[in-house]
This record gives sequence, C-alpha cells and structure tokens, in this order.
Amino acid sequence: MNEALGYVHGLVGWAFSLAEAYDVPSLIGAGVFFLFAGLALLFACGVVFLRNVVHSALSLTATFICVACLYLSIDADFMGAVQILVYGGAVAVLIVMAIMLTRRDDMAHSNPSRGLWQHAGAAVVSGLFLLGMAAVAVLSPFQSAPQPLGDAAPGLADLMLSHYVLPFEVAAVLLLIAMIGAILLAKGAEES
Amino acid sequence: MGEYGGLGLFFLVALIFPVSALIPAFLLQPRQPTKEKRIPYECGVDTVGKTYVQYRVGYFLYALVFIVFDVETVFLYPWAVRFGHLGLFALIEMFIFIAILAVGLGYAWKKGALSWK
Amino acid sequence: MDFWAISIEIAVTVLMLVTLIADLLLPKETDRRAIAFLTVIGLISVFVFSLGQYHLSSSATFFMGLFIADNYSLFFKQLFILGMIFVVLFSLDYAQKFLRYRGEFYTILLSALLGMCVMASANDFITLFVGLELMTISFYILVGFRMDKTASGEAAVKYLLVGSASTAVMLYGISLIYGATGSFEFMIICRNLHLFYAAGLAGVVLIMAGFFFKLSAIPFHMWAPDVYQGAPTPVTALLAMSSKAAGLAVFMRVLYVAFPILGTYWMHILAAVSALCMIGGNILAIKQKDVKRMLAYSSIAQAGYMMVGMASADYAGIKAVMFYATLYLFANVGAFAVLSVVEEERGGTTHAHLTGLSEASPMLAAVMTISLVSMAGVPPTAGFAGKIYIFTAAVDYGYIWLAFVGFVMSMMSIYYYLLVVRAMYRDLTEQEADYAAPVKYPFAVRLTAILAAVATLGVGVYPDLLAKVTNLASQTFMR
Repeated sequence: MNEALGYVHGLVGWAFSLAEAYDVPSLIGAGVFFLFAGLALLFACGVVFLRNVVHSALSLTATFICVACLYLSIDADFMGAVQILVYGGAVAVLIVMAIMLTRRDDMAHSNPSRGLWQHAGAAVVSGLFLLGMAAVAVLSPFQSAPQPLGDAAPGLADLMLSHYVLPFEVAAVLLLIAMIGAILLAKGAEES
Repeated sequence: MGEYGGLGLFFLVALIFPVSALIPAFLLQPRQPTKEKRIPYECGVDTVGKTYVQYRVGYFLYALVFIVFDVETVFLYPWAVRFGHLGLFALIEMFIFIAILAVGLGYAWKKGALSWK
Repeated sequence: MDFWAISIEIAVTVLMLVTLIADLLLPKETDRRAIAFLTVIGLISVFVFSLGQYHLSSSATFFMGLFIADNYSLFFKQLFILGMIFVVLFSLDYAQKFLRYRGEFYTILLSALLGMCVMASANDFITLFVGLELMTISFYILVGFRMDKTASGEAAVKYLLVGSASTAVMLYGISLIYGATGSFEFMIICRNLHLFYAAGLAGVVLIMAGFFFKLSAIPFHMWAPDVYQGAPTPVTALLAMSSKAAGLAVFMRVLYVAFPILGTYWMHILAAVSALCMIGGNILAIKQKDVKRMLAYSSIAQAGYMMVGMASADYAGIKAVMFYATLYLFANVGAFAVLSVVEEERGGTTHAHLTGLSEASPMLAAVMTISLVSMAGVPPTAGFAGKIYIFTAAVDYGYIWLAFVGFVMSMMSIYYYLLVVRAMYRDLTEQEADYAAPVKYPFAVRLTAILAAVATLGVGVYPDLLAKVTNLASQTFMR
C-alpha cells in the first residue's frame, strides 16, 4: 500500500517537474488547438467522402462547431458564439431543409464520389497548396494583436458603427437582397 | 482559456457517462435481428411509405427568413452592448439598418413566405 | 463625414427600396412597366446629378479615406449607371415575356448597381469585399431568373459555386495581407514593407487569383461560357460589360494604390494572364455556334485587352482601360439589345436564329454589325481607337510583345465576328423564306440600339471628347 502511494507520489512529483520544465498552459493551448483543428479536418473530409448527403451535412455541422471551439480557444468569444449561433444553428438547419426539398427515395448514394484519378488529382493539388501555405505561415512574421481580445463585442460595435459604417449599411442591403433572391428562387422553383 | 477549460471538462464528463453506459450494453446485448426488429420504431405503429419524403418549400422559406434575422441579431448584439457610449449617430445608423431589413420582412410577408398554406 | 461623397450610393439605394415597395404595393395583375420606367427616370436623374461631381480639387472621402469619390470612381459609376439604363430599356419586353418576377428584377438590378458603385469607390478591403459580394450575389440571383428554362438555373448554380470558391480564395488573400501588414486600408498597406514577406506575396497572388475568377480570365474562365449562355440575355449583357468593368476598376485600384511597391511582380503576372486571355479567348470563340457563348469567349479576350492596359502601369494605361471599357459597353449594349429581340422573336441566339436578319430588320442587323466590328477593332468604329490607345500605352511601357500578341489576335477575331455578320446578310434559301418576315420590337429597343450604334461610331470618328474625360478621371487617380 505504502509502496503504491510512493509510486503515485513519484508520478505526481514527475508531472510537477515536467510542468515546471515546460510552459504547461501553452502546452494545453497547443493541445486544444491541435485537437480541434484535427477534428475539424476530419469532419471536413467526412463532408467530402461520406456517401449519404445527410451524413455529409451532419459532418459539416460538426466542422462548424470545431471551428467555433478553435475561436473560443484563442479567446475570440464573440466569434465563437456567432459561429455556433449562425453556422452551427441556422446554416445547418437551412442545409438540412434544402436537402429535404430534393426529391429522393433513398439517401444511400446521394453524395456520389468521383473516380480514383479525380481524388488523386485533387489530393495532389490541395497537398501542394497546403505545403505552400505552410511555408508561407512559417516564413513570415505575422503581426499579432497588441493585447488579448477579451470581450470583443464592444470593440466590434465601435468599429462597425463609426469606422465601417458604409460597409455595415451595405451589408444590410446585401442581407435584404439575399433574402429576396432566395425567396423568389425557391418559390419560382416550386411553382414551375 | 480557463473558463472554457471548465466547460470542456464538463462536456468531457457528459460524454463519458452515456458512452460508459452504452458500451457494456453493446457488448452484452444478444443479437437476434429479424426483419420486424430492424424497421424504424415509430410509436409502435408500422411505418408507412418511404423514410425520405420531399418537404414543402414553406419550411425552407421559414428557415431562410430566420437565418437573415439571425444574422441581423449578430449585428445588433455588439451595438446593444455598447449602446450607452455610442450616441445618437449610431442609433440612427442602426435604425437605417433595421429599416432596410424590415423592408425584407415586409417582402417575405407580402409574398407569402410566412403563410402556411 | 461627407455625405456628398456617397450621394450616388444613397440615391441608388433609395431607388432600389422604392422599386421594391412599389412592386409590393402594385396589384398583382398590373404589369411592371411602371417600375421599369421609374428605374430609368431615377437612374437618368442620378446620372445627370453625378455629372456635377467632377472636380479638379482634392477628392471627397467618406470616413477617413475608406471610401473615396474621385473622378476615377465617378467615371466608372457613370459607366455602370449608363449600362444599367440601357439594359432596363432594351429588356422591357424581354422581362414581360420571359421573367416571372418582373418587379424584383429591377430591384436586384439596382442592388447589383449599388455593389458596383461601392466597389468603384472602395479604398479598403472591407468596403471592397462587401461591394463585391453585393454585386456577385445579385448576379447569382439574376442569372437564375428564368424559371422556365433549366439552363438558367444550372447556370446560376454553377456561377454560385465557382463564385463562392473565388470569393474564398480572395478572402484568404485579404486575411494574409491583414496578417502581414495589420491593416485593411489601401493607403496604409501601400507603405508597409512587410508586403515583401512570404505572407504578403502569397496574399497578393491569392487576391489576384480571386479577381481573375471574377473577370473570367484564363485559366479561371471555366464558368463563363455556360453562365453567359444560360443567363437571361439582358443579364448576360450586364455580366459582360458592367460586372467586368467594376471588377477592373477595383482591381486597378487595389494594384495601383495598395500594392504599388510590388509592381515588378504583379505586372508580369498581369501581362502573362492578359496574353493567355487574348490568345485563348479568341481561339475558343471561333468554334462557337451560339452567339451568346461566342460573346462569352470574346469577353474573355476583351478583358485580356483591358489587362494589357493595366499591365502598363502608368496613367496612359489607365486612361486606355477606361476608354476601352466605355466603348466595350456601347458595343455590348448594341449586340445584346439585338440578341434579346432575336431571342424573343425566334427563340434562340445561334447563328441559325440570326439568319436573314438583314431582311427582317435592316436596322437591327446594322446595329449588330457595327457593335461586332467595334469589338473586333476595325476602323472607323470606337474599338479601333480603343485598341490604338491600349497598345500604344503597352509599347511605350516596353511590352512590345504583348502589343504584338494583341494585334495579331484582334486580326484573328475579325473572322468569328464576321461569321455572325455573314449569317445575317447572306441570301436566304427557299426553305428559309419565312426568316425574312419583319421582326417586331418596341421603341425602347430601337432607341437603345440606335444610341449604342451612334455612340460607337461617334467615339470612333471623334475620340477626343471621351479621351479628354478619361484624361481628367485618370489624372486625379494617379496623383
């Protein structure tokens, strides 16, 4: 019994010494980042490779949520909340609704996959692009934010309503037009 | 990071509990599938027709109008947080923003995107 | 805060909302011609009003230079407004006959116009992006506006997918530029030497790729032929002239204002892409039987000519691009006005549908001929003067090979433009006798067609006036 406790003690001591040797919070941060980035990539692959388009939609929603977790992990609270609210919620629902609009008896092969050569070509091209972008990320010094973002909403409000008024109002027109267009295309498709 | 760590832990625990209950069930269950057993369970009544049917466009239009106003909320929220400091000009801007989208709501209403026929 | 600077945008927005509300208030049975006339009258008054905004002093800006109303942007805005007036006029009957949602058609046309105007004045990446998205989203909708034709819906989906991909590429580029320089504003980015790091260079390349997509430049042109062919004819006209001119206007501003220090890099990319466009566009156009599809390939080539002017990055080059964009607008209005009448009357736009147009309607055939000859760049039309300006600017800058390619390719292009002319003017055989029956078309089409043809010939014979205006516009830009 005492021996076992001694082992545990030793293990805890070892963990603490490791924690002192390395910067644990940043290690955890890196771990969280790689976890969610990996999951996001995995689910993104699912969107492409799953045969059933409903499963693809589910996978896409999971990707959205993983991206939201990535935002949260870098303290971009507002972005994370918006990502979950708009993408994880509304866009996901819209995609599923759009799938249900299509006429199909069986969803088993609704997301057909291309042949091997197309896959290989796409893999090569996107791999090269990924390599190039990784090189860019490594080689260039990025300007980081002067201080942690914290609560971003008030800062966003200041920017949106003073500096970027014009894009803000144009965005309202953009939303309006997108809604009108979507309504009339959907209704037109139904009526004809 | 810290607060979300707690949240993450919470989710992790929430995940472990059902999974740890499901795994023994999965391992212990007797497997005797019959055709009857494999049909979807629908309140004990036999299923009729195909599982996937074509939905009416009305659902889609509802979702569509919802998403537009969902995005509008995203714009409204920072303004509301900062309302006290922003002053009259921001208020007018916001009213223009809302007015433009209200025209969209009027459009959706008049064109019957909100009616359930 | 200078509301004078955004007066055109405010006017267009108000007009857009008025058309939308008018469509809601008008009874269902009435046709929507009233809205079309309202649009035309509103746009004409905005055009006349905007004439007074040309200035010699420093340009007005809105919010610390994020939005700049200089002569350059003003010129392009007037071009877009003019194009829109013409399109609304010649599509009056087309809209009545083929479009189910006639009222919204004008609303969405105006929102596209608003997007273009914002783009022309954008002086930072956020304003640029929102303007660009407003324009492209409006076009996605407009392309799919013909509910009776599956090709239209297919074209819209294709355009949406390719367009979204290109938007993503451009956004990625913008984010890299922001990461490298810490700003979205052109005036601040241009001074930042971090642009020379890998992130800056990659960002510039991705932004350029995004623009090449929007301009349907080779090798990013795959979507253009199908979309041009499937879209309603008036929308195709707008895609070819206004959307392309808007893309070019903001592309020039991005390159010249935000990234001038990288000029030695992007000039070569531009030169290479413009050569590809001129060669590929003209060669691919030869085989086309459908005139709309042919004009899609020809528009790729025309974008190539305009990019030659951009590659010679000085004020003569800008002036030449503005001149060329104007005359290309007139040529397009003429050609598409005729095509929309032909589509209405004969149900298609292939060479066969154009057969015997010279007997059915000599006026339409003449306007079509003048427009096509101007696109080919044959004197005495405006296209000749425009090409002279562009190739002179290129030669002066040292791009002799580019001017040579452009010259040879425009010689070649005469062939496929004349194929259309031959279809219209050749003698009819016995079986085709009913093609000689007169074609009916309203006064508005006659007006637009004649105006476009007169403008094409007028600019060709007497280019000085337009040259002076473009001079004024480009000088304030390069200050």
